[in-house]
Amino acid sequence: MDPTPDRFAIRIHGHLGATVLSAFPALMSRRHGADTVLTGLLDRSALYGVLAEIEALGLDLVEVRCLTSQRKSPESGDRRSL
Amino acid sequence: MTVARASLRLIDRGDLLAALDRAAAGKVTIISAPAGSGKTSLLRAWADRPGQTDRLAVVQVQRDQQDAQQFWLALISAVRDASGTTSGEPPAATPDFNAPAMVDRVLSELADARDGITLVIDDVHELHSQEALAQLTRLLNSLPPNAHAILTTRRDLRLRLQQLRLTGELAEIRAADLRFAERETRELLDASGITLSEAGAALLHQRTEGWAAGLRLAAISLAGHPDPERFVAEFSGSDRTVAEYLIAEMLERQPADVQDLLLRTSLLDRVNGELADLLTGRAGSEQILLSLEDANAFVVSLNPERTWFRYHHLFADLLRLELRRTLPEEVPVLHRRAAGWFTLHGQIVNAIRHTQAAGDWADAARLLADHSFSLTLDGQAQTMQALLRAFPPGADQPELALVRAMGDLAQGRLDEAAAYLAVAETYAETAPPERQRRLQVAVASLRLSLARRRGHLAGVIEQARFLASPVTGKSDEDIALDSDLRAVALMNLGTAEAWTLGLPDAPDAERHLREGADLARQIGRPYLEVGCLAQLGFASLVLHSYATTQRRCREAIALAERHGWGAEPVIAPALIMLAGTMLWTGEFDEGERWLQRTRQALETDTGPDIMLLLRQTAGLLHAGRGRNHEALEEFGAAEYLGSQLADSQALATRTTRWLLATQARLGMTGHARALLEALDDERASSGEIRNTLAVICLAEGDPAAALDAVADVLDGTASVLGYVTVMEAHLLAGLAYRELGDRPAANQAAESALALAEADRLVLPFAMTGSAELLEALPRHETAHAALLAEILDVLHGLSPAAKEQSALSPAEELSPGELRVLRYLPTNLSRPEIASELSVSLNTVSTHVRSIYSKLQVRDRSSAVQRARELRLLAAGRTR
Repeated sequence: MDPTPDRFAIRIHGHLGATVLSAFPALMSRRHGADTVLTGLLDRSALYGVLAEIEALGLDLVEVRCLTSQRKSPESGDRRSL
Repeated sequence: MTVARASLRLIDRGDLLAALDRAAAGKVTIISAPAGSGKTSLLRAWADRPGQTDRLAVVQVQRDQQDAQQFWLALISAVRDASGTTSGEPPAATPDFNAPAMVDRVLSELADARDGITLVIDDVHELHSQEALAQLTRLLNSLPPNAHAILTTRRDLRLRLQQLRLTGELAEIRAADLRFAERETRELLDASGITLSEAGAALLHQRTEGWAAGLRLAAISLAGHPDPERFVAEFSGSDRTVAEYLIAEMLERQPADVQDLLLRTSLLDRVNGELADLLTGRAGSEQILLSLEDANAFVVSLNPERTWFRYHHLFADLLRLELRRTLPEEVPVLHRRAAGWFTLHGQIVNAIRHTQAAGDWADAARLLADHSFSLTLDGQAQTMQALLRAFPPGADQPELALVRAMGDLAQGRLDEAAAYLAVAETYAETAPPERQRRLQVAVASLRLSLARRRGHLAGVIEQARFLASPVTGKSDEDIALDSDLRAVALMNLGTAEAWTLGLPDAPDAERHLREGADLARQIGRPYLEVGCLAQLGFASLVLHSYATTQRRCREAIALAERHGWGAEPVIAPALIMLAGTMLWTGEFDEGERWLQRTRQALETDTGPDIMLLLRQTAGLLHAGRGRNHEALEEFGAAEYLGSQLADSQALATRTTRWLLATQARLGMTGHARALLEALDDERASSGEIRNTLAVICLAEGDPAAALDAVADVLDGTASVLGYVTVMEAHLLAGLAYRELGDRPAANQAAESALALAEADRLVLPFAMTGSAELLEALPRHETAHAALLAEILDVLHGLSPAAKEQSALSPAEELSPGELRVLRYLPTNLSRPEIASELSVSLNTVSTHVRSIYSKLQVRDRSSAVQRARELRLLAAGRTR
């Protein structure tokens, strides 16, 4: 597995308030319609840590996308998704 | 924990309950859904439903549980509570945790529960021990017919349950099943006394998507709200996530002191009134907690007395974030206060966790080091290693070297353990005086156990003798810690002394082990008591008879069995010694059974010295049965293990002599001679090796040389390990005389061997040396040991395959102890009056017994009685009982 961190975009349904955002100090947040998109450089264990936090806080995870990886996902052509 | 009664606000979700009821009729049900989906509420409602007849064993998996033993102990005690088991001791924590054995025990407890029993395991996703998950899979796949299991988890589990799935015995309830229907949303609002329009209720349902936690939170805020319709409209118009919005709303509506209590106590996994008072600096917290539980489903009591509470995990996580955001400077202070309370109340693991969370790493390290022995004895070794992993890397605390050494030692990483012990020792020298002694005791104690595993006892025992003197602590806590430490130290010291197998160390070993066992009993540490008694049984033979040794071993084993440790490493020394002594007294079948149990006990933990003993004893069993090829293999393996032990001379010499003698008996005399010549002078001149030389000479057909070899043993000039060596020398001399045609000398030698064998009624040396013919040639009127002789011959003949085909007597025909005593004299040439005088009973009694024996064995005369008794192996039974 690639040990270098990648930039990830994690989309969550709903707007996150200051309390919930404080659970993701390493990520930038941006509202996108009714969703919140968290972005940041994460290696794999950090990524799974963020996903565990999302699970623990009962957040509605919509999408996880890798923005920097050179690897192409076979089924989705230009979209570099996990 | 037990299931607390359902909160008043839980509505009757009949359809869902029926669904769970149907699912639970199968073997395993898994409720898999995200946080706040209402998994636990469903379980509670199901447990309280009318007509519920099954017994429930409920286990709540602790947050981030990394300790397999803690999980299984909680599970088995829940099963025992549910099934009302009163037999046997409750399972006790042990440093030698054996997960498969524990699962076997759970399965047998489940099978013993008379009625249906349902195992409920809540929050399985918190179980972070691969070992525990693997064994849980086995448990679920092998549940007895009367047992069912329900598991809840936030995410699908990595359990291998395909077989159950294929046979339709696995049911799942998922998030979609748990979601509230619109009708149920309406019912929930009605049940909570909330008046809301149809449209308002529909809006609320839509916004929360039927998510249980969202609806419950909304209901709390709506209850008593001046304008419920407005609340729903605002909520619906907000883009905030449901949980965050509603928790903020709910908190805002609480009085200031309640808000403050919730925030400050959110960093605890469990809270009670006293702790909450301490963290808030105000009295009356218990009342607040009680009313919170009554008012909603986010605070739940953990015990029937309702003194301990926990918060719903999702709720607690959000509160914690809020606490960190709004009162960051308070967080370490609160952790420190909590740690103080837990320390005071002896909850050390919690104390260490909060000390770590406060960032007080040095204090946390000190606490962990001080309690490392006690925690190990409490069966929390894995928790300890998890705590160790929580320290930040890099800035290592010297205190932790001791804890790391313990972990490495337990995992068999001996070099790493030695390195950490050296660090711990250096640190102990610079430690403040009040702690120095404790650290030194801990280090010395671990050194002994390391030395034993390596077989390097020389010199280590001398350095550790100071362990025998008591440590005096000041506070109660110090005394408790120091008692644990001292009991372990006494066990390790006595064990090391015992394993030198030398006469000079034996009285010390016995005293220290006895003292250790007494102390262990006083302080309620059964594991240490069993450990000391097992070693005591093992050490006993150097100073005491075979009968005393057997008794001690049996006592130790009985105590171990009461705690469910009958086949654990801790009892292995007593098991192997019992097996060995049975072989020496000729009870080969019984000995073999104990040997088998020793093997089982040593499956999980193997020290080289006890493995050597196991191989050696197995070799003796084969040799005693005349299976020299098998014996050679075992002795060869033992010899190899002996070469790995730097200085267990006594054990090694024993092996060498048997190895060489077995080689000689198999005709490999050249091999045996070559090995003999490689021995140093000291070993070569020992009585045991002189005997071995005699065996080689006999195998080479040179009886005169054999006589020459044993001369030193018989005249007492050669050093011997025990009288058995002298006995063996007599037998070898007897065999040599027989070869030389000197019947009187042969008879005399056999008689001398019998005289020595009498005290412990030893049989094995006669079997190993092949002395059957020598004994048979001994005229019965020339021996003072007729009964023993008959017994030995019986065992020796019992070894022939023909005699193995035996039929047992029916219980009605079983001989009484008195009849058995008389029976043993029947093979001798003693007359009835002579037997009467030997047994100090009247002639009449003997005659009555003889008649009864004939009748029970269905024979008419003495010689056929003897023959029948031999077939039934009655002549060899019951000697040692």
